[in-house]
Formats: sequence, structure tokens, C-alpha cells
Amino acid sequence: MSSIKEKFNQISPSEFFYRNRDLAGFSNPSRSLYTAVREFVENGLDACDAKGILPDIHLTIKAVDPEKPDPKQYILTVKDNGPGIESKHVPLAFGTVLYGSKFGLKQARGMFGLGATMAILYGQITTNKPVTVKSSTDAKISNEYELLLDIQKNKPVILKHKTKEVARKGLSVSIFLEGDYSKAGSKIRDYVYQTSLITPYASITFDDPKGEKYPYPRMINTMPKPPTIIRPHPYGTDVETIRRMMIESQFEIPTIDDAMIEKVRKDLGLSKKNLSFTAIMEKARKRWKTLSRQVRVVIALMSFLKMDFEKLNKIRIEDLDVPNKKLFYWDFGDSSSKSIDMDPESQYYKQLTNTVQGETLTAFLTKKFQRVGPTTAVKFAEFAKFKPEKRIGTMTNQELAKLSDSLQKFEDFMGPDPSCLAPLGEEPLEKGMRKFFKPDFLTVIQRSASAYSGFPFVVEMGIAYGGEISTRGIKVYRFANRIPLLYDEGSDVVLKVINDIDWSRYKAKGDPPLVIVSHICSTRIPYKTAGKENVADRQEIERELRLAIQFMARKLSVFMNKRGQAEAAKKRANLYAKYVPLIAQFCTELAGKKKEPNFQKLLQEEKPIENE
Amino acid sequence: MSKKTDSKIKAASKKALDKQKNILEMLKSHGAKIYNDLDKGEFPKFSIPSRSVSNIVYDKKLRQYILGNSSALRSSRNTSQLRSFTQLMWLAFFANRLTNEKKSSTLRDIYYSSQAFEIDFEDQSESDNIIVDLEAVTSRPREDFHIFPEERSSIFGDLNIEYTIPGYEGKSMNLSNHPDGYAIGPSLTTAELVDTSAEIVIAIEKGGLFTRFVEEQVDKKFKSIIINTGGQAPRSTRTLLKRLHDEMNLPVIILTDGDVYGEHIAMVIKSGSANAAHLRELTVPDAKWVGVWATDIEKYKLPTIPMTESDIKRCYDLQKDPRYLDGIWKKELEVFLRLKRKAELEAFSKYGLTNITDKYLPQKLELAKSL
Ligand SMILES: Nc1ncnc2c1ncn2[C@@H]1O[C@H](COP(=O)(O)OP(=O)(O)OP(=O)(O)O)[C@@H](O)[C@H]1O
Ligand SMILES: [Mg+2]
Repeated sequence: MSSIKEKFNQISPSEFFYRNRDLAGFSNPSRSLYTAVREFVENGLDACDAKGILPDIHLTIKAVDPEKPDPKQYILTVKDNGPGIESKHVPLAFGTVLYGSKFGLKQARGMFGLGATMAILYGQITTNKPVTVKSSTDAKISNEYELLLDIQKNKPVILKHKTKEVARKGLSVSIFLEGDYSKAGSKIRDYVYQTSLITPYASITFDDPKGEKYPYPRMINTMPKPPTIIRPHPYGTDVETIRRMMIESQFEIPTIDDAMIEKVRKDLGLSKKNLSFTAIMEKARKRWKTLSRQVRVVIALMSFLKMDFEKLNKIRIEDLDVPNKKLFYWDFGDSSSKSIDMDPESQYYKQLTNTVQGETLTAFLTKKFQRVGPTTAVKFAEFAKFKPEKRIGTMTNQELAKLSDSLQKFEDFMGPDPSCLAPLGEEPLEKGMRKFFKPDFLTVIQRSASAYSGFPFVVEMGIAYGGEISTRGIKVYRFANRIPLLYDEGSDVVLKVINDIDWSRYKAKGDPPLVIVSHICSTRIPYKTAGKENVADRQEIERELRLAIQFMARKLSVFMNKRGQAEAAKKRANLYAKYVPLIAQFCTELAGKKKEPNFQKLLQEEKPIENE
Repeated sequence: MSKKTDSKIKAASKKALDKQKNILEMLKSHGAKIYNDLDKGEFPKFSIPSRSVSNIVYDKKLRQYILGNSSALRSSRNTSQLRSFTQLMWLAFFANRLTNEKKSSTLRDIYYSSQAFEIDFEDQSESDNIIVDLEAVTSRPREDFHIFPEERSSIFGDLNIEYTIPGYEGKSMNLSNHPDGYAIGPSLTTAELVDTSAEIVIAIEKGGLFTRFVEEQVDKKFKSIIINTGGQAPRSTRTLLKRLHDEMNLPVIILTDGDVYGEHIAMVIKSGSANAAHLRELTVPDAKWVGVWATDIEKYKLPTIPMTESDIKRCYDLQKDPRYLDGIWKKELEVFLRLKRKAELEAFSKYGLTNITDKYLPQKLELAKSL
């Protein structure tokens, strides 16, 4: 549901991640350089993807002092042509940990909200130099920041901020960091190479510290459809998530400030002039149906307070004690807390209790989850032994646990909505692979979406054989949410599945020149570590991978058979062409003839079958 | 030369001519069939008697191994046969030339000659094999196509022959003029056997003893023709033995070492080898093995040497051969197995160099009459 707005959430201090930086892939100068490259390149690609912009990513790594031996200081710069970040968000996005815009349920490369900041943090710790971020959201003005991170407070320290005129949108990040390019170089080049394979619609260039250029031009000009943000599926939502969703769903008692009063006036269609309390209530009764919920709550409060706008402006609601039917407020006039009783028979009282107790269970389920309609919601309530009209806000902790439990067990929910996923698609994958490997045989498949514990995922894969593939044996390129996975491949689920397959059954014996590209897309890839290098084996994912591989392997074996036949036919024809004329020559003399028999007919019929 | 021999020679050379004509005809008809197939746009094929073990059977009447009824189709369409098909065609073509021009060649020659025609044999054993194929298809021994093995065995004794090979036609020769004996080659095998004073043919396994026999004038003393088989008798030698038996009515006796191999040398002369089951003109069923028997070892108290592992295995193998199921063949094998020892022809030298010709041979010749 795209109506959920992307919002920046700040959810945890950075101190923890400073202590646990190994987990995020910043363990040593070599790996840190590689991880930093990844974090910035992926952020750039994410930003472009989200806005449907064909990405142009420029990565530069320069040694501060090229003469020095590794490990040494490098300047890492990644520049993109994406939407940029609004000026005021820049310090927060790059200066705090767990500050990201990608927590909503849609597929993006980033998911933890800490990648960029961790890289910046690492750079700062090893070089004591600030990060430079230049961002333009309008292709006119670029906001350029120099930031340091205050690790204890999880707060950015802005050293410099200036603006400049520019002609292009996009963002560029530049950090100083301790790195080891002689060790990390091949990994980084692999990363860039493989990223361009899985992002054929991007143009990526890499200028390395030795002055080498690695340009990967765009291979296709169509973007895959950007994923949409969706509501969560009931499967896979734990008690904590439900509690958070509940708090969001409960309509909080609005702060009655100038802005709110202005809103109420407008909704009631009142002009600037002041109206008496009764006149306001009269107007509200007439317009009740058209009023927003927020406004209704304010009117309900006013009905008990019996105040006009002027008086209302001078108090602040403190608490609403529904069971005791009391309303507490702070009076700025005499600086004291006051209370009034509420008439439980009043229709306004009902409005307020509903607000505090939240929605009914069925309304909560239909509004907050995907794949739950009114009928399913009622069926579910029955299944979980809740009254459908049970107010969500009145649930005890036990009831909440029961609710979350039943959500996992109820079997009639439809599978998760995969529209939040962004697989590359069969055509782009095939085109990319064809241009990349120039194989003799190529097949790709995108499986239909499936889910593991409530998280939708899609598996897409390709197999290429022969042609210009020079590697021997099965070479696997693993991707997850369009990120190449280069480290720790031993423990990965894709490798496990590929190794389980008896390739000789599919005519790929010995060390075939075979390339397998595997791409898993999910709103949450089950990574084994925050370093995002290998995918844990989940039964459902394993199954999809296996089916995809078997499907392609069957096609491969058909190809191999055909090729075998074609080769055999060619070989046969060659043999005939060599021997039949000799037979003709010998039998001519044997038979005492002068003229050779007409054996050309025979050779014609046995022309080799051309390779497809 | 007497009138009688003269007419005999004429008849003989006519026979040789007829034979040559027959062979050429036969090759031509094979060639014509292949030619027609090709001309019709069909892959030529022919059938060839199967030479697999399962198709080699022992014919009691013929007293030799023969091929059974199963045959295999050789098709030039089948690419795994195409090469050998072509090789065989070439060989027929080449044999045709040889026969036509009355030129002889050896197995080794064939191997090399092929190279002039883009026919590549991997090694001589491959070309030897194709020669056997030609024999099987035509049921003719390779000698008929003027193809001879290299191994030479030799002959000595009062036998008049007349050559039929080009350049020597009509030339005659007495085979007791040269004490080293005469090599048995293509010219001898194809020569006309004119006449002889001999009454028996003694085939002996070893060159050393052959020389001894010539020195001791065994040919004169026992009115015999002596033939050195040089181990396992080559096919030309067996052909000659057969001709001496059939054409000159001479009985054939065989003397070998006193071991299982010797016994089998005798058997091959008598009833052929499984390898040549496709041919029928190489056996002398009436030939007699007179020694050295296993029982002779004890009887003559010959110095012996122990049998090797492979000697013993060979004994057991031969016990499965139908020809070894009765008579002396069976008995001697059993004795060899019991003694686990063997004796060579030379062993008689213990009792003096001429012991074998003076004592042993006369006894055996006497014995042969009753065998
Ligand atoms: N190049 C960019 N263009 C636009 N926005 C960006 C760019 N780089 C980062 N951002 C914003 O800054 C936020 C923080 O980025 P960060 O890398 O720290 O976290 P993330 O990408 O959300 O998750 P992860 O930790 O998995 O990388 C992102 O969520 C995004 O909103
Ligand atoms: Mg990121």
C-alpha cells in the first residue's frame, strides 16, 4: 500500500554497533574497504531503483599516499544520479545509526539502516576525518555537508554546510578510511563485475587506486518495476510487531494546539469569527458524518469540557480515564490540574472510549495486514476464539500472545503479496547473462512468489553453458536483492542445493563450462550475519531453488542431447565423406569397372545437421 | 622327365590356373555387389561369419574346429564399422591385384602397403585381423590371396617340386640338395609336388633337432621328409603338411618337446586351431603325435624341469577342449599334471647325442603304426 509514507525512524543507539562492527563487515582494513564500497554503491542503486531512475554509479578509490604500503589511507567516493536526500535529513541519514527509510515492507538492498553510517564510522575511527556528503534533490542546489559522528549520543556533528549550484540530481559520499586494496582489490572488482551482471540497467564505473578503469556500460534500458510498500502478512508477525502496530492504530488523544483548532474550524466550515460553545456543537452535529476521526475526538472532548475555542486554547488534555469516566486537563490559566466527570450515556463518551480502546479485532486485521478481508477476519476471530468486535486496545498480554500465535496457525490466509519484491525479471536476466557470458546455451527462470515465515520471496535463476565461458566446473554467482554475495559461500543455501544435484544426470559431466546465476529476492533475506554474505537454509527457499535448478537442468540436458546428436551427425557425415569414396574406388577396380559408382547421393543424404 | 610326370605337371598347372581364376571371379562378384549398392545410393553391406567364441564349435566328423551358423552384418552405414569395412574393401582390392599379378606379400607388407591408399591401420595386429576377416568372408586361406606370414619353417628330404610362381614357372628342385633345409615360403607352398621316395613325414618342433636329424640322415634311414615347424607350425607349413599327406599319400608323425605346449603343437597340426576355425584346408587329421609324451618322461628316465604356473594353467585349459577328452590326449595331460614336470627333446642327449635318432625314433615309428 503506497499510502504508507516513507518515514525516517530512529530506533537504537549506535554504541552497540560500534562494539559489534565485526558483525557488519568491518573487521579489518581489507574487508572494511570492500564493505564500505558495497554499502555506498548499494545505497546509490537503492535510491535510483526506488524512483525508477536508470542508475549511473561512479565509484572511485584513491590512495592518499600511493607510495605507502598497504594497509593505508584511501579516499572512497561513490556518486550517483539518484533522487538525493533532502538537506535536513542528510546529517541524520549519514550521522546516526539505524536511521533509514527502508524499514517498510518492500525489497531493497539496504535493510538495517546502518550500512552507510557504519562505513562512515569506520572511516572516522581509522582516519579521524569527516565524511563529505553532497546531495541535490532538484538538480539546482547541492547541499554539501562535512560530518563527524558522535558515537555516544548517536548524533551527527556538522562541521561544514554549504550550498552550491549544480546541474544534476544525485548524491555523492566521500570518506577517508584505512584500507588494503592489494588484498581487497580482486574482491572489489568481482563485486563491481557481478553487480553489473545483476543490474544490467545500471551503468557502473570503477576507477581503482592503480589508475585502472573498469567501465560496465548499461546493457538494457528498461528498469524493472519499482517495488511497492505493502502491509505485512499475518504469517511471520511476532507479538512485538503486533504491539507496535496496535499502538499506531490506537488513535491518540490529539494535542489541541493552534493548528488543531484551525483544522477543526475548517472542517466545521467556520469562519474566523468566534462561535459560542453551543453553536459549535450544533454545527458539529449537523456535519458529524463528514468529520474526520481526529476532529470528532476534539468535538467529543469539547462536549465534556463545555468550552469554546478560546478557552480550549488555554488547556491541555492530560488523561482520559475511561473506566472511571473522568477527563483530566491542565489549565494554563491557574496552572492546576482539573478533572470533570463524563456522562457514560452521551454519544460523545462512546466516541472517546472507542478511540482509546482502539479498533475492533476484525477492523484491525483488515486494515493492518495484507491478504485479510472482512470475511477472513471473522473466520479468523472464530478460529482464534476472539469476539470479532473485541477492541484491540483492551487485550491483555496473554491475549496478544494468543492472537500472534493464532495468526501463525490459521491456514486460510492467502500467500503473501509479492508486489513488494523486485526480481530482475526473466528477460533482463537473460539479456544480461547473454551479453556477459556469450554462452552456447542459456536458460533463465523466475519462480512464482512464495513465502517463508510470512516474508514473501522470489527465486530467479539462470544457467549458461559453453560458448565463451572459460571457467571449468560449475561457477555460481549468488545474488540476494541484487547484491552479489562473495564471501562465506561454503555455508550458503544456494551452494547446498547445487551440490545436492547429480549433474551427470543432466549430461553435465566432469568439469562443464557452466555458470549458474541465482537471485533471491525477499523483503527479508534470511542472512546468517549482518555482513550480508550468505543465505541461511530455509526449507521454503531451498525448495524453490531446487525446483528452479531442476527445471533449467532439464532444459540443459535437452540441449546437451541435441548438441550430442548434432555432433554425432557431423562426425558421422565426416566419416562417410572420408571413407565412402575409398570404398567406391576399391570396388570399382574389384568389379572390373571403369567408372566409379554414383555414391554422391549417399553423402548428400547424410549431410551434417547444423548446430542450432 | 618322364611322360607321366609331364602330364601330371600340366594337370597341376591347369589346376593352379583354375584356382586363380576362381579366386579372381569370387573377388569380382563381391566387388560388383558393393559397386551396385553404392550406385543405387545404398550403404553397401555384407555378412561375415561370426568368429566369437560362442560361434566356434568342434566338428567331430571333420575333426577340427569350425565356425557355427551365426554371422554378423557388416554395414558401411554403421560408423563404428565403416573404417574396418573400408579396410576390408581395400584388402580385397589389394588381394585382387596380388592374385592377378601373382605377387606375394607378407602380413607386414600388407600393413605397410595400406598406407599408400590412405588406409591407416593402427598397427599390424589390426591389419592381420582384417586379413582374417577376408579369409572368413571368402572361406579361403590368405595364402590363396598370396599373403604369407613371415615365420619360416623348413623342410628337408627327397622331394621333387616344380615352382608355379612367376619367373620360376616350370623350374624344378629336389629338396635334399641343401643340408640346412629349405625355407617353407610362398614359392614352396604353391609349388607342384612332383614326386618323392619318402614314405613318411616327420614334423619336429625344434630347429636344433631338425639339424641333428639331417646330420644323422634320418631322411635316408627312415625314408622320410623332415620338417621343422619352428614351434607352433605356421599356416604355410600346415598347408604343406596337408598337401604332402593328401597329394603324396604320406603319413605324418609329429615330435615335440615333452610338455603341454608340445602336445598342443601336435594337436594344431592335426586338427587346427580355434583361431582358424573359419578355414578348412589347414588340418591333417591323420597326423600322429608320437612324443615326447609325459609317459615317456618316466619310461625313458628323462632329465626334467619343473612345470611353471602357466604350464599347469594351460593343462587345465586344454582339459576343457573337446579334443582332449579321450585317447592319449587326455591321458598325457593327466600325467603331465601328476608329474608337474616336463622334458625337452634335447633331454635324450643325456644318453648320447644320437640316442634320440638311434633308439627313441625307431621305437616311436614302430609305435605310430599302431596308433
Ligand atoms: N545515495 C543515496 N541516495 C538517497 N538516499 C540515500 C542514499 N544513501 C543513503 N540514503 C538514505 O539514507 C538511509 C541510511 O542509509 P544506510 O545505508 O545507513 O541504511 P540502509 O541502506 O537503509 O540499510 P543498510 O544498513 O542495510 O545499508 C537510507 O535508508 C536512505 O534513505
Ligand atoms: Mg545501505
